[in-house]
Amino acid sequence: MTKGAKIATGTALLALGVAACGGGGGSSSSGGGDNPRAASGTVYIRGCEPQTGFVPGNINETCGGTINDFVYSKLVQYNSDTAAPELDQAESIETTDNKVWTIKLKPGLKWTDGTPVTAKNYVDAWNYTAYSPNAQLGSFWFGDIVGFDKVNTQDPDGPDGPKEAPKPETDKLEGLEVVDDLTFKVTLTAPISVFRTKLGYSTFSALPEAFFKDPKGFAQKPITNGPFKFVQWDHNSQIIVEANPDYPGPEKPKVKKIVYKMYKDDNAAYADLVSNNLDFTELIPPSALAGDKWKTDLGDRAIDGQQGVIQTLTFPVYDKEFGGNADFRKAVSYAIDRKTITEKIFNKGRSPINGWVSPIVEGFKDGACGDLCTYNPAKAKELLAKAKSEGYTPPAEFPIWSNADGTHKDWIEATVNSINQAFGPDAGVKFVHKDMPTFAELRDTITQHKIKGAFRTGWQMDYPHIENFLNPLYKTGASSNDGLYSNKALDAKLHEADTATDPAQANALYQEAEAMLQQDMPAIPLWSYGLQAGTSKWVTGVKVTPFGVLDPLSIAIKEA
Amino acid sequence: MGRYAIRRLLQLVPVVLGTTFIINYMVWQLPGDPFAGRCGQRPCPDSYVTAMREQFGLDQPLLLQYWNFLKNLFTGNLGTDFNGVSVATQLGDAWPITIRLALMAVAFEAIIGIGAGVLSGLKRGGFIDNVVTLSTLFLLSLPIFVTGYLLQWVLGVQLHVIEPTVTDAATVPELIVPALVLASLNMAFTARLTRTSIVENLRSDYVRTAVAKGLSNRRVVGIHLLRNSLIPVLTFLGTEIGSLMSGAIITEGIFNIHGIGGLLWRAINGQDYTIVVPVATLLVLVYLISNLLVDLLYGVLDPRIRYE
Repeated sequence: MTKGAKIATGTALLALGVAACGGGGGSSSSGGGDNPRAASGTVYIRGCEPQTGFVPGNINETCGGTINDFVYSKLVQYNSDTAAPELDQAESIETTDNKVWTIKLKPGLKWTDGTPVTAKNYVDAWNYTAYSPNAQLGSFWFGDIVGFDKVNTQDPDGPDGPKEAPKPETDKLEGLEVVDDLTFKVTLTAPISVFRTKLGYSTFSALPEAFFKDPKGFAQKPITNGPFKFVQWDHNSQIIVEANPDYPGPEKPKVKKIVYKMYKDDNAAYADLVSNNLDFTELIPPSALAGDKWKTDLGDRAIDGQQGVIQTLTFPVYDKEFGGNADFRKAVSYAIDRKTITEKIFNKGRSPINGWVSPIVEGFKDGACGDLCTYNPAKAKELLAKAKSEGYTPPAEFPIWSNADGTHKDWIEATVNSINQAFGPDAGVKFVHKDMPTFAELRDTITQHKIKGAFRTGWQMDYPHIENFLNPLYKTGASSNDGLYSNKALDAKLHEADTATDPAQANALYQEAEAMLQQDMPAIPLWSYGLQAGTSKWVTGVKVTPFGVLDPLSIAIKEA
Repeated sequence: MGRYAIRRLLQLVPVVLGTTFIINYMVWQLPGDPFAGRCGQRPCPDSYVTAMREQFGLDQPLLLQYWNFLKNLFTGNLGTDFNGVSVATQLGDAWPITIRLALMAVAFEAIIGIGAGVLSGLKRGGFIDNVVTLSTLFLLSLPIFVTGYLLQWVLGVQLHVIEPTVTDAATVPELIVPALVLASLNMAFTARLTRTSIVENLRSDYVRTAVAKGLSNRRVVGIHLLRNSLIPVLTFLGTEIGSLMSGAIITEGIFNIHGIGGLLWRAINGQDYTIVVPVATLLVLVYLISNLLVDLLYGVLDPRIRYE
């Protein structure tokens, strides 16, 4: 750069500096001792653009789910410390047989348009979500309620086929019955012990009368019943919510307004967090995690925690070549050095697990995997030899698949190395990492059962219970049983647990079921996700829920 | 000139049709159902996938899909993206910001780049020339994201001279640093290109004649030398406007600017082709039009270049 250019740049930067100091406004970081958040009562948290509008039954991702949980109260809420389910809008949820549930609402609950929250609001919302022509993403959640097959019809040849799904007979679930304004009854096809726990999932929210008049408009500007009310959605930019003055909960919001500011790049959000322009993010970028740099940057503003997400490696057990046999899969499990990988690749941001369930949920039991989830190269070799003697010949090259649009390359390569080293050069099988370009393509290949090799799987809990990590994943024909694993004894045990009326007994049965996965090892448990979050110096009391998002009632503005 | 411009405009028609067809074809032919990845590890309900395919016309044959796209494009009805938000509104919100950013970047490139190039070309081998050579070499060796994160960290987080990210309003003062980052690489190219061009033309006959005629130095450089030397630079700057638009993806990500680049980035990640296709089409248009403008400007700069 020339001298002239330098002067020009310098002047420009100077001008900019002056402009920034003068016009910084609410989010200026160059102020003195006063807290700039105090006057407006507004806090800024990191967000991202929701995939669908604010209809609870149609949201299944975190960008929309986070705000959705700020603005909708459900029958049940999960304690932000222990993840235990507690009654929220429900005054009581009673059952004698886990099959017929009577739900009573608290009196005096209101929507933000002033209308009362009624039992009919719940029944109507559930019917709407379950009815297949409404094409709601959460419809399958109502599959346990009597009459679901009459309101939700499946496409006989899948969405690819030429045939269309038949129109359902009715749009009302037979198993839902309004008893009076505040009471409704739910009848399930079979007893389900965790039904009460499930009710905290967002799909089970109610919808006000206003929704049914204009579902599309409502999705963009919903009327809600939670601690915060919806104010404004500037697409790809921000979502604003304000404290709901009518919120009846014992704990009230401590801030007036939350601005959910959308970032495309986690590093940008992090830069804003470090310079106190952003008050909360639950995503610390890998560049800051390396060498615990974020802890140095943030000091006591760093939050270290746990969340209900686990990583597993799933085998296509339906495939003769790549499904392996039980001993081969066990050998692979023995060959993975989980401890070193979590320390080296994830900087201890993830911790090894020895079971198929997240350690933070109800019903978790340590050590369900036995010693199969410990690193033991000698045993790995031994079992590999046993697998071969039983007639299984592994392919020369055994891929582990992931999607290139996610950040999985590093750990899969480390895992592949660990396996190859443990097996030794004469194993006759070499593990390799392979990528598909996008998550959509990976999922498409997996669900069509065309995948040639093992693949990475992760499970984020829908509700904090051991059942959520077993039924959807390992029951024969379950919706997310990607490897088509099937074990009659396991199915029977899970059914027994589902139908147990005593919650403690149900948990014990689920634990027995989990331990049965040891026999076949259809998926290899790897590690559970930690949680790294941070706050600005302007806020205090911040709690992060076991779902890895901000507890909106906890955040408060620090006094100057 | 007029006839030339019209002929060039007409040439654009097959180019636009061809490129948009290829964009449409390639994007929708990508493997993987765009709706399959939207439900995490759970398969999406069939009813949802069917409804979405119907809504976005994916159940129709390719040519019909393309015809509908063209029809919508010319009627200005871009429909909604997969999230149900109007594409036209999103583009409308994002374009002014990116155009502002790109124009500022081009202005920096032109002013700083040409200025530095002229100075170093005229004083070849001197101190200024060495400084320019070294500093451009430095800039050329730095990828944009390094420059971006570096300036953001030093000026934004450490020194508090700027805010690390740009607000929704994206005012001109806020965009100065991002525009400098966006321009940094091409600024160096422009400087080097100008320098070479100046050095080359300094030895040419017409410059010697002008000097021999006894014209003042200012007139020789300003009128004779610069006009001719700027032709390759102008070509470069013109094509740059197009590529700056798409190059803004990185800069807009780093500084969290809600422009076209960010929109495209999010849409590609989310496999939301309803946005990718119109944005790519608009990028093609910007590219073609800026090229046309550059071609027309040649005649203004160099009278020897005549059309027809």
